[in-house]
Amino acid sequence: MTEATHTVKSYEQELEHLRSLMRQMGGLVERQTAQAVKAIVDGDDEAAIEPPELDPEVDELEREAEALAIRILALRSPMAVDLRTIVAALKITGDLERIGDYASSIARRAMKLDMEGGPSLVGLRSMGRLVQDNLRRAIDALANEDRDASVAVWQADAAVDELYTAMFRELMTYMMEDPRNIGTCIHLMFVAKNLERIGDHTTNIAERVYYAVTGEMLPSVRPRGGRGNMASLQS
Amino acid sequence: MLLTACVATGWLTGGLFGWSLGCRRVTARRARIRREERRAPVVSMEVLLDLLPDAAVLLDGHGALRFANIEAKATFGEALGTIVRSPGMFAALRKLDGVTLQASGSLVIEVPVRRVVRVAVRLLPDALTTGPARVLAILSDHSEMDAVERMRADFVAYASHELRTPLAALSGFIETLRGPAANDPQAQQQFLGIMADQAARMQRLIEQLLELSRVEMLEHRKPRGRIEAASVIERVREETVAACTAKGVVLDTAYEPLSVAGDEEQIIRVLVNLVENALKYAKVEERPLRIRVRIEAQTQHGRAGVVFVVEDDGAGIDAAHLPRLTERFYRVEGRGRTSGAGYGLGLAIVRHIVDRHGGSFEIDSVVGKGTCCQVWLPVA
Repeated sequence: MTEATHTVKSYEQELEHLRSLMRQMGGLVERQTAQAVKAIVDGDDEAAIEPPELDPEVDELEREAEALAIRILALRSPMAVDLRTIVAALKITGDLERIGDYASSIARRAMKLDMEGGPSLVGLRSMGRLVQDNLRRAIDALANEDRDASVAVWQADAAVDELYTAMFRELMTYMMEDPRNIGTCIHLMFVAKNLERIGDHTTNIAERVYYAVTGEMLPSVRPRGGRGNMASLQS
Repeated sequence: MLLTACVATGWLTGGLFGWSLGCRRVTARRARIRREERRAPVVSMEVLLDLLPDAAVLLDGHGALRFANIEAKATFGEALGTIVRSPGMFAALRKLDGVTLQASGSLVIEVPVRRVVRVAVRLLPDALTTGPARVLAILSDHSEMDAVERMRADFVAYASHELRTPLAALSGFIETLRGPAANDPQAQQQFLGIMADQAARMQRLIEQLLELSRVEMLEHRKPRGRIEAASVIERVREETVAACTAKGVVLDTAYEPLSVAGDEEQIIRVLVNLVENALKYAKVEERPLRIRVRIEAQTQHGRAGVVFVVEDDGAGIDAAHLPRLTERFYRVEGRGRTSGAGYGLGLAIVRHIVDRHGGSFEIDSVVGKGTCCQVWLPVA
């Protein structure tokens, strides 16, 4: 085997390894999010234990991916699509790590929460489902380097915002009805906010995938839902 | 190596079949041919895997999906990505270190639909590692058992919750009929009328709950068959035209002669459901309601597909309710109160059916202008 092909081969291997690290992180945070949502909407205390436990593993993978990305940048001077993939990887792993943190925070809150006679959790359930599905499709787009799929995810976050606003309004009504609900409702409000943030990071991932694949940025203004109602509620 | 041997033996038994046994010369020639066969395998691993009745995928050394056989694509479809990157899969892969050649594990995913999967991984022998693939993974789907389990719990919870109210009313009236109204024929007639309504209500609820659980059971089974636009429109017309005429509603239909993979019966249920919703809730006082059902080609995010649209020019739905309409038992307050309102199960059923087909379901509505429900299914 000649020297040249050898070099190319191990460069290719390194890129493959970087993609693998991202996929593993993706799988872990998907699991964290799924368990966190389950913990809160089904009151499943066992499910609540897992997300925080997976956190160190996610952090470790992020560090490993970062080190590898920097190594490739320093030693291989990648160009064009490879360069974009690596730069995007640095940001995507950051987004994934944040998603993991939010999922853990939801799970920890679920353990504290006593839902006896509290408000209905159906809204949170469908929000959780939607967020998980978008996350899955974003990581699929990442794994398949699929431009169209990334645009679809990027647009789908509007529905999450919509649901968040609906939740906000519902919880507000509960709190006004009976001050004894406030404790529980505040917890649920944070959970909804965390889910909404997971949705935003998912959108970021979709944006980076689009950039890595096409070399172009998606417009900075994203279709958003629920803004108008939000303003009138917060004023 | 193992697989090549399988090919050879399979071929050999196939060859012997129909020959008289005990013919040594023939057997010797067969054996020679078999040796040649072994040197040059004619069948690729992928072709063989496609013949398997089990879901099998090939992964490379980094855990990336390199090949999925026909059964894997049919059973798991777009969930394959999530399955191969799940922590359960990576945990099983980590056990394969060259000394350990096989391992197994299990994993649960929640989206697009909940699935419980057992996975068995095998390190490929050297003879089979000419391509990028290094690991064979066999996936077995245990979702159905899991779904039955959960559904039983859900059904009991929902049924008892939703049936309690009409049941309480019924027993109240029975009490009254036995006591205070025992000798009052006029009151008896009135009460019996109400009781009949309540009983009918309970029956409809039970039917819907049963339909919902049927739909849920089927959800992770890929629909087979084809949907023909023409026959869908015809059936939807047949089933709804009487109710429309009775209410003085105009029903328009239009379609392009399209065909798409899916369960026709279920899609007809979806459309009939949507038309019935429009009949129930979209009524406006000022003008006669118009409902339009159409089927046409539509590309979504670069994927070719067919869209089934049910739109009306009625009362519309407030934007605040839109994201929650497909939740079970979600009802928009004040809507259709008078006409024996529904249970908030219809759109939940619709969503499950659309999820099963890998499509999307959208509702757009403007208060006072009307509502437009779109079910989009991918062609491939």
